[in-house]
Amino acid sequence: MSAREDVKAPHAARLLRAEGITKVYGDGTVAVEDVTLDVRPGEILGMLGENGAGKTTLTKILSGLLAPTSGRVVSPRGLVRFASPREALDFGIGMVHQHFALVGTFTAAENVMLSHERPFSRVRAGQTHARLEKLMEESGLRVPLDVPVEKLAVGEQQRVEILKVLSRDVSLLILDEPTSVLTPVEVDVLFALLRRLRDAGKSIILITHKLREVSSVTERIVVLRHGRLVGDVATYSVTREQLARLMVGEMAAQTVGAAIELAEETQLLGQDEKRTGPGILHVTGLTVRGNTREAAVRDLSFDVHGGEIFGIAGVEGNGQSELVESLGGLRTAVHGRATIRGSDILGKDPRLIYQLGVAHVPEDRWKLGLVLPFTLAENAILGLQRRKEFCGLLGFLRKRRITAHVRQLMERFGIQATGPNAPAKSLSGGNQQKLIVGRELAKDPAIIIAAQPTRGLDIGAAHYIRELLVEMRRRGRAILLVSADLDEVLALSDRIAIMYEGRFVAVGRPSEFDRAQIGLLMGGAGAKEAA
Amino acid sequence: MKRKLAAAEIPARRRSLTGLSPLLESMLAGALGLLVGVVVMVIWGYNPWAAVVALFTGAYGSLTGFASALAKATPLLLTALTFSICVRAGMFNIGAEGQLFMGTLAAVAVSLVVLPPGIDQIVRLVLAMVVGALWGLVPALLKVTRGVSEVISTIMFNWIARWLALYLVLNILFDPLRAEKTISIPVSGRLPLLMRGTNLSVGFFVAIAFALIVYFIVWHTVVGYEIRAAGLNPTAAKYGGINSRRTMLLSFTLGGMAAGLAGACYVMGTPPTYGVFAGLPELTNLGFDGMAVAMVGRNHPIGIIFSAIFFGGLNAGGRAMQFRAGVPLEMVRVVNGTVVLAMAIPELIRIFPLVKSGVQRMISSVRPRRGADSGDTPSDPDSSTSRGDATRKEERGA
Amino acid sequence: MSLDYFWMVLIMSLQAMVPLVLTAVGEIIGETAGLFNIGLEGILLMSAFTGVLGAKFGGPWVGLLVGMVTGGTMSLVFSVITTRLKGSQMIAGIGINLFALGLVAFGLAAGPLFVSEGMRLRAIQTPVGMGLSPIVIVALVVPFIAYYFLKRTRAGLMLKAAGENPEAADVAGINVLRVRLLATTFGGILAGLAGAYISVSWVGSMTKEISGGRGFIALATVVFSGLNPLLALVGGFIFGFFESLALWIRNSPALKALPTQLIAMTPYVVTLLVVAGVIGRVRFPKTLGEPYKRE
Repeated sequence: MSAREDVKAPHAARLLRAEGITKVYGDGTVAVEDVTLDVRPGEILGMLGENGAGKTTLTKILSGLLAPTSGRVVSPRGLVRFASPREALDFGIGMVHQHFALVGTFTAAENVMLSHERPFSRVRAGQTHARLEKLMEESGLRVPLDVPVEKLAVGEQQRVEILKVLSRDVSLLILDEPTSVLTPVEVDVLFALLRRLRDAGKSIILITHKLREVSSVTERIVVLRHGRLVGDVATYSVTREQLARLMVGEMAAQTVGAAIELAEETQLLGQDEKRTGPGILHVTGLTVRGNTREAAVRDLSFDVHGGEIFGIAGVEGNGQSELVESLGGLRTAVHGRATIRGSDILGKDPRLIYQLGVAHVPEDRWKLGLVLPFTLAENAILGLQRRKEFCGLLGFLRKRRITAHVRQLMERFGIQATGPNAPAKSLSGGNQQKLIVGRELAKDPAIIIAAQPTRGLDIGAAHYIRELLVEMRRRGRAILLVSADLDEVLALSDRIAIMYEGRFVAVGRPSEFDRAQIGLLMGGAGAKEAA
Repeated sequence: MKRKLAAAEIPARRRSLTGLSPLLESMLAGALGLLVGVVVMVIWGYNPWAAVVALFTGAYGSLTGFASALAKATPLLLTALTFSICVRAGMFNIGAEGQLFMGTLAAVAVSLVVLPPGIDQIVRLVLAMVVGALWGLVPALLKVTRGVSEVISTIMFNWIARWLALYLVLNILFDPLRAEKTISIPVSGRLPLLMRGTNLSVGFFVAIAFALIVYFIVWHTVVGYEIRAAGLNPTAAKYGGINSRRTMLLSFTLGGMAAGLAGACYVMGTPPTYGVFAGLPELTNLGFDGMAVAMVGRNHPIGIIFSAIFFGGLNAGGRAMQFRAGVPLEMVRVVNGTVVLAMAIPELIRIFPLVKSGVQRMISSVRPRRGADSGDTPSDPDSSTSRGDATRKEERGA
Repeated sequence: MSLDYFWMVLIMSLQAMVPLVLTAVGEIIGETAGLFNIGLEGILLMSAFTGVLGAKFGGPWVGLLVGMVTGGTMSLVFSVITTRLKGSQMIAGIGINLFALGLVAFGLAAGPLFVSEGMRLRAIQTPVGMGLSPIVIVALVVPFIAYYFLKRTRAGLMLKAAGENPEAADVAGINVLRVRLLATTFGGILAGLAGAYISVSWVGSMTKEISGGRGFIALATVVFSGLNPLLALVGGFIFGFFESLALWIRNSPALKALPTQLIAMTPYVVTLLVVAGVIGRVRFPKTLGEPYKRE
């Protein structure tokens, strides 16, 4: 298979052609480089690539949100240029974004109305309703129309997004990582819809980084790497291994192997006999309220032992964040008990919790893990700033000791930066995460709570973090892993739980489940209690 | 990761100018302020050059002039610290004015008791700091307990303080011989002058000392670390065991102390009156001007010291300007305001290419054109410049 | 207290309410779109000043117009700095205040500006002998128009979207920066009218204290209203009432014993109490105060 096949098609069969698209940002970052791409009617095109490959940027250019630095977009009618997403919509291109472009306080109907109508017209609720009802029937997507969108479940919100775009009668529909927030059942419903749209002659671009998905629903796949188009192939003609190789390029065979492993079935890393130690974290009857005043975590009970990785799988938004926040001291529980080696941690100050032996790798490293304008050194002692070794007489900081500490971390974890006084925001995502993990591990914890630890990282960094976790397990620490990446959870955990709507719908060893089962459980169908 | 172009490869018009130091930006803001001042003077019919010359020679041209500048800088330094400390904690403390009024009157009130020299001054300074801190603490408490915007509450407290001060000056602390002012501070309570014939007193060094103490606290102690962390990212700070309520209260306490001290230094160090007049004319603008000083000083104590001397010079020179060139000294306020407006713009240096492209765009919008160049949407020059934001794009699955 | 007193206090309150209501409604429109303008005080002061100048040359209505133009221009500067130039709203607002304070003080350096009878807006005569400015009618009507605009037109939706979730608005084809610019400028026009009203119609003179913190009380009114123009009308009336009461007490011979300064404090104290009591129950646009960057 050649790295790049020019798939030639007669001019008339093309909806659009993007030629030589390049996008360079003001600081010199090259997001997209010389990409040429055909979009055809009646076809589902998969766009594959790692985080940072340029997929979102390219599609934002197609949908009018960004302008290319050079290159052009051509349609059978001539040159096309969009000054705004509105113009792209008028042309017939609509995009469903990964992070929904919905106004939370508006209802679904109001969100749809935003893209229609002229400014001073009266809001015609009746007309919009009628139009939407018809659309919902045709597409099979149902949503409540008069509830503020922020109160809807994530899957429903995505349906509103799609409806919004469909209501404009687009000929090209772009979806950016749509399945990251859906249960496997919802994914099937979505794909069925996409197929129907394709059969009706629409073009669809499906952006994803999941090999399995792209193989199942697309006719053609383009692969982006570091901003360049490295592959444009018919789906049937290529294997997942080949796709993975295109995505990550020529890297150490081990890393490619790791990528493939994790993209395939579960592979438990070195877990054989029960070598688990004493119970470290003990949770009973935990109930936590979410931001909308409803219970996000309902009556949860579980244990995590030393020397084991307990993985919580599940689509994001089912209470995982609230669970982790309550264990970290950021959110108060309404009911229940949680102890670390016998000491209560619920409702306690985060510093106290860490003193009891809890380390925390938060799911959002910018919001929760780092103070970006601070230097590496300052971030490295976040949480540790009152320790005797860093803070001396009268509260003066021991700058020299702090610098030595951070240098140690940099060396041990291979954190690349210009120095201990570099601002944290100058680091890449992978290095930022390494800093956080290094800082947490330096607390010599009894238990590590890792929430989405490899999100947004490239394969090399993700692999490194996973290895670290496994190493910690080998050393007898307890690890609570929360991840929306099912493959990751299955690969790393000794025991898993599947979380749905605040409860564990199943608990057991990874080997006890098969993927179809897990899919159903993640979607809430059926429940299986296992010890 | 994304490939980055070598510096030479980046098209010239895209090269980011943020490498330029903050010092340059502050200077540019100052220059813009003076420029606008000149324009206003011209519009009003004054001779700008005579005014500017008088301004600068009045401030820096002679020793007495410079001493005046330093004397004027003293309270500004401190009120600037008030604003800055709270900014570092993530808050906007607009209440320096009210806190200053209260501190001033506290210092005056001590005159009701007789104390030996040495102790007298210290008691006044300390009491002023305490009272200033308390006046600043109340809005902070309102913010922390009820979430009341500190912007609105501090401003309300400014007005309340003004009326309260007026009441105290006219009804309780008044001088029986001259009812429109307070009793003067007795000799035992005055701060010694550094230079005869000027207003420059030991208060200047008190202010500098306070600034240095603030520097050490905020940048070299745990408390300061926690304040800064909570100011920059309260959630991450919480994870680090930092209580952002505590840091807010602490910062307002420190800030209020600075403002109270400012007022005390003023009233204890300004001959010949050593008192406060009804209507509080000399004290009135110190709070707001302090904010301008803080911004130009980049909210850092060392920068603030220099910035205060600059603005103090402007104020001192203002008198000379009024005297010699006939331009009302309120012109200096106009300069102040413009400087703050200029400082509001991040990466002020960008203003030049932006103005140029804005003009270009206006021209091209009259003649619609489609081509590679006009595709330069407004978003481009404003996009992120640091790798961290590039990382964010990576996060979004670029 | 005779009924006449009641009417007089009512009229005084209505007069006092006008600058608060107009400014507050203008700011509501701006804040709905996402911009928080703390420079209202400066705008009031400046337009009071230019309003008098305009009245000097062309009579009261010209004065009001000039005030409106002043307010609009200042808000335009503010919104350009905060949208196009991505400036900090707080600092830009403070800058506007300082600048206005300076320019007005500078312009008044010769002494207070007097508004002669010819320059002053003729008031509607009422039975109790006190004049009522026609602008009061404007202040009573504007909140309703604003309410309808925000709730029932698509432009209102656009504004709310720009404030709540500018990315979504952008994707829907709304030019977020332009919307914010227009909204704030319009708010400034209303504030400009309010300022000119103070000097040309209500008080009838011009000093540098004439705005009296009303810009900030208007901000408090906005908080109280939860971005609902009708509630701003109510809030403005309440604050205006307390202001008038304070003035009344200070000027009434029977109550001379009470310390005038302490009475003068009441409006500000009331504002504080109201704001402290109301916060937490109202909801502001999510991105209020943050500049919008399109990536």
